[in-house]
Amino acid sequence: MAHSAQPANSEVFENLRMELRRGSLILAVLATLRTEQYGYTLRKILAEHGMAIDEGTLYPLLRRLETQGLLQSQWREEDNRNKRFYRLSSEGKQILKQLLAEWRGIDASLNEILKEKGYATSRPVLAGN
Amino acid sequence: MQLLDRYLQAIKFWLPKSQQDDIVAELSEDIRSQIEEREHELGRKLNQAELEFILKQRGRPFLVANRYLPQQYLIGPVLFPVYKFVLKIVALCYLVPWLLVWVGFRVFDPRYRATHTISGDLLGAWGSLWMTAFLVIGTVTAIFAGLERAQSKSKFLENWNPAKLPPVRDARQIPRYVSVLGVVANLVFLTWWLNGKWSLIVFEHSGVRITLTTAWQFFFWSILLFSVLNVPFFVVSFFRPYWTVLRASIQLAFDFAGATIFCLFLNSRILVEIVAPNLSPERAARIVNAINTNMSRALPFVAIACALAIGLTDVGRIIRLRAGRTRPAQDLGAAAHHLS
Repeated sequence: MAHSAQPANSEVFENLRMELRRGSLILAVLATLRTEQYGYTLRKILAEHGMAIDEGTLYPLLRRLETQGLLQSQWREEDNRNKRFYRLSSEGKQILKQLLAEWRGIDASLNEILKEKGYATSRPVLAGN
Repeated sequence: MQLLDRYLQAIKFWLPKSQQDDIVAELSEDIRSQIEEREHELGRKLNQAELEFILKQRGRPFLVANRYLPQQYLIGPVLFPVYKFVLKIVALCYLVPWLLVWVGFRVFDPRYRATHTISGDLLGAWGSLWMTAFLVIGTVTAIFAGLERAQSKSKFLENWNPAKLPPVRDARQIPRYVSVLGVVANLVFLTWWLNGKWSLIVFEHSGVRITLTTAWQFFFWSILLFSVLNVPFFVVSFFRPYWTVLRASIQLAFDFAGATIFCLFLNSRILVEIVAPNLSPERAARIVNAINTNMSRALPFVAIACALAIGLTDVGRIIRLRAGRTRPAQDLGAAAHHLS
């Protein structure tokens, strides 16, 4: 539906889409980093799951999340190259749990609204603990 | 990989010193991983063009570095609309009077027209405009940058009291204090005016005497009539404090008549004689002539100012009343009343 929009509207759609994805990306990054990853593999995993993120957004985000104490990082050698590995901190796990509850709440509310207005609804896809 | 090193060095330049090495090492690793993956897909080393393509996709070094920097504003998005509004007002306050004075000189002063060309005037103005704009914009920007800093520290914009909001404006309403002030001011004026102002000798004290022409009688009675008629107008406005098209038209007639009387006064060479101790008759005659001449010269500017003031206020009011543009304000008032 969105792809059939007029060119003028497609820019509006793109801006709104980016806005909508921004918060979800943080959730996806935190959820993915329950297992340790370095930047490049993290980006690939996210892209494989339909959450492509450019490096210019990902690395500053990782730094911000680390400064906020949600991630821990460590430089380590792998395949003869120094790589920085990230994983969720214990505080990050707590926050992720709260964010997932919030996400499910938003999803449920949105589904409720969409159902009332006769739109097709979706099932929550993020299952986490 | 010399190109990659040059790219990373360019990014590094813009990064904060404490994080430069860390960020560049991570970026370097990411780009090298991407290059390796691409080389693996192609089964060969990347050529210069392919490497350039990858770097171009990543973005200009300054923009890449910028994403790691904290967001900083000289004037942030909260204050920016106010800043823009203030700049527009300042520009109007400078440009409109300048334009009016210039048009006044060009239209009404033959000597000015003879010595100044339009292109010369505009070029001269253009030159001085830059300096003025630079100073004004610089000053306003500096003030707003200071406000932005204060706002980011104290969040003073977040502390506000809804009870202090101005009441809903009804453009039709005539505030009662205006009517009271109008009555009082006119009565005080009439008392002063009737106390000897009909005489052609308007001032006589300590040997100083100022005498006016007989035209003064016309102005005396005109101004008296004008002031007398104003009193019932303000009294009616006090008891019926709403503009109607009729009342707005009467106000327009009053203001037009007042402006006309004033313009005629300026052009009447009203002064006849000034007598003062230690003032020779020749010198007194020169002063009288200078005052009369300067009053006449001021006429065009006064006429333009009057026309502008009348046009903006009285004619604008009539147009608004006719167009019924006051309805939204009334609706707002009604809604507020409904809520309370």
